[in-house]
Amino acid sequence: MRNGIKEWVDGHVTITVRGKRFERMLNMAVRDGIRIWNIRRVGEEVTRCDILIRDYFRLRPLLKETGCRSHVEARDGLPFWLLRLRRRTGLAIGAALFFIGLYMLSSFVWSVEVSGTKMVDPRRVIQAAEQVGIKEGAWKVKLKEPLVLQKELLSLLPEASWVGIEIQGTKVMLQVVEKEAPVKPLATGPRHLVAKKRAVVHKILPEVGRSQVVSNQLVEKGQVLISGIIGNDARQQAVSARGKVQGEVWYMSNTSVPLKQTMHRLTGEKLEQQYLLVGPYAIYVWPFEKQSFAQAEMAEQRFLPSYAGYTSPLGWKTVTYAQTEPVQTEMSVEEATELAKKFAREDILQKAGKDAFIQDEKVLHVTTENGKVYVSIHFSVIEDIAIEQPFVGQ
Amino acid sequence: MKRWSRRLRQLAGGVLDLPQDVVLEVPRITMIGHLQMYIENHRGVLHFSEKELRLLLTNGQMIVSGEQLVIRAILPEEVLLEGRIGGVKFLETGPQSS
Repeated sequence: MRNGIKEWVDGHVTITVRGKRFERMLNMAVRDGIRIWNIRRVGEEVTRCDILIRDYFRLRPLLKETGCRSHVEARDGLPFWLLRLRRRTGLAIGAALFFIGLYMLSSFVWSVEVSGTKMVDPRRVIQAAEQVGIKEGAWKVKLKEPLVLQKELLSLLPEASWVGIEIQGTKVMLQVVEKEAPVKPLATGPRHLVAKKRAVVHKILPEVGRSQVVSNQLVEKGQVLISGIIGNDARQQAVSARGKVQGEVWYMSNTSVPLKQTMHRLTGEKLEQQYLLVGPYAIYVWPFEKQSFAQAEMAEQRFLPSYAGYTSPLGWKTVTYAQTEPVQTEMSVEEATELAKKFAREDILQKAGKDAFIQDEKVLHVTTENGKVYVSIHFSVIEDIAIEQPFVGQ
Repeated sequence: MKRWSRRLRQLAGGVLDLPQDVVLEVPRITMIGHLQMYIENHRGVLHFSEKELRLLLTNGQMIVSGEQLVIRAILPEEVLLEGRIGGVKFLETGPQSS
């Protein structure tokens, strides 16, 4: 029946009507479609009511007809607010400027953040972003579509495999995912490959350089195997020699293995001790009586709650002792010899370096003395004998 | 003639089970406690004061008495009245006299 918002937007006035024939005027007004509300008698022949501004002017001929007189008491609604606002122009302008300023300031980029960089300098990312228009003080409206910007930024940053652009209010977040850089071979200067030890050349495969030896040739330590100087006498060039030279090297190994051996075996008995950790101190808590084994293996487990890089000063430590007992075993001479050979092989292969293999082995002699087996073995091992020797090229 | 039509209307109201206010030209009044009163089908305001509202109806008058009466809204056929309503009275003048 009534529409409060419309009344307020259109503006309404509170009037008092003085006259004997108010009811007649009211009926006529209502018939004419004039909206009148909040009608109340305030005295003899005096009535107060609310009316829209534009209806007020339509009411005036009716007032004249019925011999009533009106008087405006109060004004309310948007038109009167605007009038009041015009009187306070400064305030209105200030409020408007405030909103305009807020909107404008929020339409600029005020900070650029880079995340995810490992090898690339973040400043370089920011510089690249500046070239495509993302910088502090840039107008967001002028920025291109994020997908286009991403492509442009990616072409400026060859090290990155993906760049994510996210605009959050006035902040631009650049997330960089770097390419996994391939490992570059180290640049090497001119060099020879020389023999690491006295050996018989088994196989020689030069990649760069000129081979100076042939297979089955005995080489001394320090002898040039692949030369880094190529060309003839007239025209020479120093290169970084590269290649693979395998040589046969002889080793003698003397190993001793005791026939009686003592081993420690777990018995299955266990003891636990609980500690409370306070800062650097461990306070013994449980069990009440401290027990221990004569021989035992100890394992320690610590629990310290930590979150986001902060570790709690309070924690818990559990120490577990597992009881062990010594066990004596005795081997036959054959078993001991096999064990000695195994030890010797492992030892030789460790000495010979990687890619080495045993071509031949010969047990020279086995003696048993004082409860120990002494074995001496001759190994012939194929291994890499080349080592780089830099020289100053001409 | 008028009597005939009145008869016919009453008959239609009874047979078709229509609400009386639709068939007969009488007001329909909705009250919320004694605080608010909504009157439809009136024919104009005869008198209005703090203590009394007198409305013209098709067949007579209607008097609402109370205290601090305020007409919250008024339309050609509707009135929304507020205040402390004490009583409603009908003065029937009859169809013959009007």
